[in-house]
Amino acid sequence: MGLIVPAGSGDHADPTYESVSPNWVTTRLDFLANWSRANSLWSMPFGTACCAIEFMATAASRYDISRFGMERMSFSPRQADLLICAGRLPFKLAPVIRRIWDQMPQPKWSISMGACASSGGIFDTYSMVQGIDTIIPVDVYVPGCPPRPEGLLYAIMLLQKKIRGESLADPTLRVEHMVGPDGLFRRPEEIDEVSEPFGNSVHQTRSA
Amino acid sequence: MTAPVGLPDDAAASVAAVRERFPSGVVRSHVVNHQTVLQVTPGEAHAILAFLQQQPAHRFDYLTDLTCVEYRDAERQFEVVYQLRSLARRVDLRVKIGLDSDGPLEVRTVTDLWMGAEWLEREAWDMFGVVFAGHGDLRRILMWETYSEGHPLRKSFPLRGHWSRAEQTRQALNANPEAHYSMEELSISEAYRELPKDMQERLAESGRGSLP
Amino acid sequence: MLQSYVPIVLLLIFVVANAVLILVASGLLSSYRPTAVKLAAYESGMPVIGDARERFSVKFYLVAMLFIIFDIETIYMIPWAVAFQQMRSMGGVLFLEMLTFVLILAVGYIYIWKRGALQWD
Repeated sequence: MGLIVPAGSGDHADPTYESVSPNWVTTRLDFLANWSRANSLWSMPFGTACCAIEFMATAASRYDISRFGMERMSFSPRQADLLICAGRLPFKLAPVIRRIWDQMPQPKWSISMGACASSGGIFDTYSMVQGIDTIIPVDVYVPGCPPRPEGLLYAIMLLQKKIRGESLADPTLRVEHMVGPDGLFRRPEEIDEVSEPFGNSVHQTRSA
Repeated sequence: MTAPVGLPDDAAASVAAVRERFPSGVVRSHVVNHQTVLQVTPGEAHAILAFLQQQPAHRFDYLTDLTCVEYRDAERQFEVVYQLRSLARRVDLRVKIGLDSDGPLEVRTVTDLWMGAEWLEREAWDMFGVVFAGHGDLRRILMWETYSEGHPLRKSFPLRGHWSRAEQTRQALNANPEAHYSMEELSISEAYRELPKDMQERLAESGRGSLP
Repeated sequence: MLQSYVPIVLLLIFVVANAVLILVASGLLSSYRPTAVKLAAYESGMPVIGDARERFSVKFYLVAMLFIIFDIETIYMIPWAVAFQQMRSMGGVLFLEMLTFVLILAVGYIYIWKRGALQWD
């Protein structure tokens, strides 16, 4: 997937399960772990802008993410397992979200809520990160400016489906994807490619 | 809605007084959309602003904003704009200093007149590269301290920046947000010596701020 | 007689087993991936400056110590009250004994009052 993973970051499964072949017990154990993880996601709302207001609306009584077990938000990354980046991210805030992501213990997932967090949105400028997936790994992207609460709920349901499909013995999960030695999280070519202007932005003349 | 008795309640009186006192310092003045604009030379700008602030007849004691404009116009290239307000007279006045884009962008600071100009001038430095002589703490405020790509709101600065997105991301991830904290951002007890005298006395009397 | 303790013992066993099971299960099923940044203190995403070892006012310690002393005095009064009720015939003597105890501590109380230990500022 092109993610930079420095050597020795622990990309092996938990030793308990490495040598056990999948059977009824391990699948039931997986089901139990995934069920409890998916239905009790404690989200860390990294709300920066307008999408944070929609997130608050989703958490409020009409759209109610308490139905999904998520009413308990954690504003400390230590107790969170889901980082929801709701809103645009300036470059100045990039090291902050990176550090907060790093300080979340495994298992952790992330949702990129809204157009700005997914791709930079309307802010194709010198100061905005063009998608937080250039900085942290993202599991689900939610389009919209801002997304409807139903859209965010659908993203949460998709994430729950993803979690239910996981396995405790999977060696590719629960790996800490750190920032590489060159100071970047993804390869430079990839960052440039996903940050290319598209749509009407290609007609702008005042750009580098 | 009129000013207190004895004070003129429009900006034209202030402009006229400035013209009389600083005949060589005023380039032009005009009224646009009921707003009075006074263009002054860089050399006499500080004296004119001090006159406007300190004279009891004018008393522009509130600096609403301080910003810059860069035009794509050979005759009128760059301006530093001061938006003044007289709270007692309820009068607004805009003072502009015209500069050349290719010359040195330097004006004298007005932090000695209005303390609020401290951050406003930092923003003008950050976005436009205008040096405010005598400021004392001129560093970036909107972009991070070690940002070296340029001054973003200049016309020569492209919208997406000079560097590639990968390079910008790398610079951003490696910028240390805390490299240059100022004294009051660190802790109040360490800043005790920098506080004004009356505040020091008040803290010493109440016993808070000192350890037993 | 001993039979009435059986539910308590069962509850105790169940509680201990539950706690052990939870800790062992989460230890086995969890993934522990420590990194340097993860182990650093949390300061809203900023690098950590300083440590949290601030100096405290010593008055907290003083107040806690005084509380303990007078609280224990109060605790001593409770079994004394039970004994007083059961030995009504010696009521006067018992009362004088407790009065002496309280007066000794009252001397100490007046001392700390005059020394200013009860003033916060």
